Amino acid sequence: MDEETTSVSKGVFIFNNNTIKRSSHGKKRKKQTTETTKDDNGIFASNLWYQQYANLKTILEENITELNDNMFSSVLSQLVEFVGNCHNTTVEEIPTAALLTGINMPDHGAQFSSLINQIKQTETPHVVCLQSQDCTHIKNMMENMISKFINYDSPLEDEDEDDHRNIKKNQLNLPVLQCWYNNLYVEKSSSSPIKQQTKNSQKVLVVIIPDFESFSTIVLQKFILIISSYIEVLPFVFIFGVATSLNTLHTSLSYQIMSKINIRVFKSQPSIVYLDKVLENAFFDTNFPFHLGGKVFNLFVDLFLFYDLSVNNFITNIKYAMAEHFCSGNTMSLCTLSISEAREMIEMFSHNDFENARHLLSFRKLVEDQTYENRIKLLTDDDYLKEVLMQHLKKIQKYLRRFHLFLKLLHVLVNDLPKAPLGKKIRELYAIAVSKDITKSDEYRQCFQLLGFLSKTELLPKISTIINILSPRVKRFENNKIADFLNKLKQDLKDLNDFNMNELQDAVEEIECEELVDETMDSRKQFKEKLLGLTKQKATRQLNKYEQLRKDVLDLLTNAFEEYLVEPKSFYFHEIFFFDDVSIQNNIVGSHRSAIHNALNDPQYYLQCSCCEIYTSSTILRTMPDICVAYKLHLECGKMINLYDWLQAFLSIIDHSDCDDESRRYVKPELQARFTQAVAELEYLGFIKNSKRKADHVARLTWGG
Amino acid sequence: MATDPVVLSLKQSLPCRDSQIDQLYNLLPGKDDISIPSVYICGAASTGKSAVVTSMLHKLEIKHAIVNLVECYTSKILFENILNKFSDHTFDPTNPLPYAKCDNLMDFISHLKGINGLDKSVLVLDKAEELRHMDANLLPAFLRITELTNLNITVILISDIVFEKYYNKSTDVEPLKVYFPQYNKDELLEILTLDFDYVKSEAAIDFDVDFYKNYLSLFLSVFYRACRDLCELRYMSRVNFTKYLQPVVQKQCSVSDSMVLWRNIAPVLKNSLEVLYLRVDVTSDQMNNAAHSLELPYYAKYLLVAAYLASYNSTKDDKKIFVRNTGKKSKSVREIKAKSKVSEQLNTQLGPKPFTFDRLLAIFYAILEEKVGFNNNLLVQVSSLVELRLLVLSTVGDGTSLDGQKYKCNVSFDFIHSTAKTIGFNIKKYLSDFRHL
Repeated sequence: MDEETTSVSKGVFIFNNNTIKRSSHGKKRKKQTTETTKDDNGIFASNLWYQQYANLKTILEENITELNDNMFSSVLSQLVEFVGNCHNTTVEEIPTAALLTGINMPDHGAQFSSLINQIKQTETPHVVCLQSQDCTHIKNMMENMISKFINYDSPLEDEDEDDHRNIKKNQLNLPVLQCWYNNLYVEKSSSSPIKQQTKNSQKVLVVIIPDFESFSTIVLQKFILIISSYIEVLPFVFIFGVATSLNTLHTSLSYQIMSKINIRVFKSQPSIVYLDKVLENAFFDTNFPFHLGGKVFNLFVDLFLFYDLSVNNFITNIKYAMAEHFCSGNTMSLCTLSISEAREMIEMFSHNDFENARHLLSFRKLVEDQTYENRIKLLTDDDYLKEVLMQHLKKIQKYLRRFHLFLKLLHVLVNDLPKAPLGKKIRELYAIAVSKDITKSDEYRQCFQLLGFLSKTELLPKISTIINILSPRVKRFENNKIADFLNKLKQDLKDLNDFNMNELQDAVEEIECEELVDETMDSRKQFKEKLLGLTKQKATRQLNKYEQLRKDVLDLLTNAFEEYLVEPKSFYFHEIFFFDDVSIQNNIVGSHRSAIHNALNDPQYYLQCSCCEIYTSSTILRTMPDICVAYKLHLECGKMINLYDWLQAFLSIIDHSDCDDESRRYVKPELQARFTQAVAELEYLGFIKNSKRKADHVARLTWGG
Repeated sequence: MATDPVVLSLKQSLPCRDSQIDQLYNLLPGKDDISIPSVYICGAASTGKSAVVTSMLHKLEIKHAIVNLVECYTSKILFENILNKFSDHTFDPTNPLPYAKCDNLMDFISHLKGINGLDKSVLVLDKAEELRHMDANLLPAFLRITELTNLNITVILISDIVFEKYYNKSTDVEPLKVYFPQYNKDELLEILTLDFDYVKSEAAIDFDVDFYKNYLSLFLSVFYRACRDLCELRYMSRVNFTKYLQPVVQKQCSVSDSMVLWRNIAPVLKNSLEVLYLRVDVTSDQMNNAAHSLELPYYAKYLLVAAYLASYNSTKDDKKIFVRNTGKKSKSVREIKAKSKVSEQLNTQLGPKPFTFDRLLAIFYAILEEKVGFNNNLLVQVSSLVELRLLVLSTVGDGTSLDGQKYKCNVSFDFIHSTAKTIGFNIKKYLSDFRHL
């Protein structure tokens, strides 16, 4: 690469990556990527934490791609079916699928590429995806589309590839495409009718426009008109990805155009549902050891809800957090849910790695809780620490498994309560549960109060879903507390089921009526008091049978929750599994204004040099870069800046030597050049601009720091 | 008048166009006489212009080339297309070269002369209104093609608009004009009845032509006033006919029960009249509220609201609206009256005004209650709103001035009203049009 870019003059060099020719060079690319990943490994590969990190990252990515495929499968299969069927009958309009995608185009990249793959596999090899940047003019659009159709390498004619490429772009027009299509299907089937008729029944031509909004409407209108005049000979199908709503189609296409296409609407899921699915299936997975702490998790969710609704960004954020988490040291390699794996890892630990573990915050707590001898042992004896670590790891691993399980159970119980004090989504529960003891929170108490009022019909399905979730888990670790818990629950469910509500109600009503009728009322006030008394009595009165049963079940559940849903911080070494460093906010949420201000105002922050150290932000040192000096001086000015004054102030800082007025008239050309350059740089950054109002002045464009 | 059997069969397959068919038949090159240089056919969309011309040319077996001008986005494609068709040129699939490379009119004329057997042939230019956007010399040249090539070629121009719209300095030849009027109700009924075979093949039950005609007259009684476009009417009638048949299919009534069927279909027809030309299923509900179907991030919604406010409030009102005043002024009736304007003068009726980015941000921070950092994610929202065409750039600048960018808000009041509702924001309070109410 270096050889290619050496040049006398400065310039921009273009390196063609292979993205355009992906289909043809698929094999080569795969090789390249595997090589590069190997190279990447080179830097950190020897570190234990990196191995664990890479391992988890691949698991996460696999989970997500699998999930993606499943998520879109219903919409995809509908779409693919649509593509397959739309030309079965004769059509006068172009069959068009409008896929309402939601606003995040980057997120849909995966969706569209899997759509293309599926259509290619099942329906037709002729799929073209047009990007708006390639289609600024109708000419480009047509040529692009046709060249993509014609240059598609069908498996049969790999060798002819080069011949096709020879066609010049300006030769490509629809008659050419028609000829190519006829050559592929019509003529072949007529020349060897028996052999290929079934196989080569005419395949449709699919045109995908993933971002409808960014296409110019004029170009699109024309495009549709042109294609519609060919619809009888070339079976086209359109798929539009519409980000906003169907109205966009109507506002951007006139009636004349609309009558040429036959739209069917497909809806993909809103991104918030997508996020929930990703979280539940890939991240709250009991097999995924890395966890986000409450603060970071909330930060990510807020970013999602308030700023971008982009699941891709969310996942990238998690990956970043993972990288940050693991690179803090080899101790993090213990972040695994299998005990044997952890054992293997810890056997490979060096003294430094144990030191690394000793730096964990919760280690200090552990030491403080121990007796004096143990303290010394912990601090000095690596082998002892190893055993202690293993012990605690086991605890946490067990805890984590149950944590997720019981979080799900709690979710089943509370998600549809009125006002949902703990939230409707499992992610909301997670955010609370990892940041504090959820069972001690007010919301939790409220929830259980509400649960205490549930009727039998509401309670029963909840209990049975809980049992359904639990039962498959129990087989794995049998004969323990959870199994007991499950059995008890089953028993309760049975009792509840057997219980007949009608009997109970009759009994209750009888009592109440008797009591009310019994007494003779003198006044309204008395009656009121009576009723009040009755209600109080009710509260203290023995619970009836159903209430008793309900209370038992809830007590059983709440006891379990209190045991398993404890705060992760209560465990020693929880840092290995939970990442809760909010300072990564600065890295994730970019804020360029303050970064630039910081860099110019306090260059030492980035340069890390000893010469530019300042104590108050207004100090200006001559050792600072010129642009910093100019910037700091301009902060002191008003809306208009006199260039001469600015230059003098600049000189007085840069050049201490001669301060008397006489010499000021003469400015060293070198210094003037430096000043001019600094001013030009500031203008480039957008802090000042030339002003036509006043001679020798520039206008300031920003205010404050 | 000669009654050619071809004309008779044409009149049968294309009903209600008898006079036009006769007219055209007389204009087309016959066996012996000199052909007419140019014919201009005009008439509204879907009145059978192209259908009559193409089928007539086919049946009379006249050598012809039909080119749709929409697909000729360059004149090169137009020339090469005509030449290919006149010369019966077939492409070699591995190396698809045209009959001849032809970049300009001169080449075209000379190539045309080179093709044999073009005497008494016809060149049809469909969608001729596109000629107005193409090279200025094309229309005069096509009108005088006989003079230029010394060949007996008739040029037929087919278009939706009258020929007067083509006039410019160089138009001095007037073609002969044939007008295709729109179908009236009876004609529409007759033509739509031709759809019977298709409909019957689609339908699950058996019925006769009279039943279908009954339906069509019902259908036309609702739709005829709103739309005369045959294609649209046919589409609508097909869509609605399945619904018309539904009670019969479900065995709720018999085919002869026309009153029940009418009562059943009347509301359906009325509903589908509302989505005429939109080509959507009436049952789909996302039509009703675009704002609810569109999901935007929280701050993006605020940005959009801020953009709307910036677009529909004048700058001088900003201070009054967004600076929180301490003392509440009570409004007198006179004041309200003085401020209320006729609806034509309302800002919200006048369309969006451009605003600068700074103003957008200032309003955004004024209406947002919590403090939010000014970061890149926020800025990206603005550009993604532009990409979604909810905001539009109003100045098409050269891209050199980053700060001079001006935007306009591109959404309707109803849209922004329901968007504002989802974030619990009363937009009327901040619009100068509604504030005084």
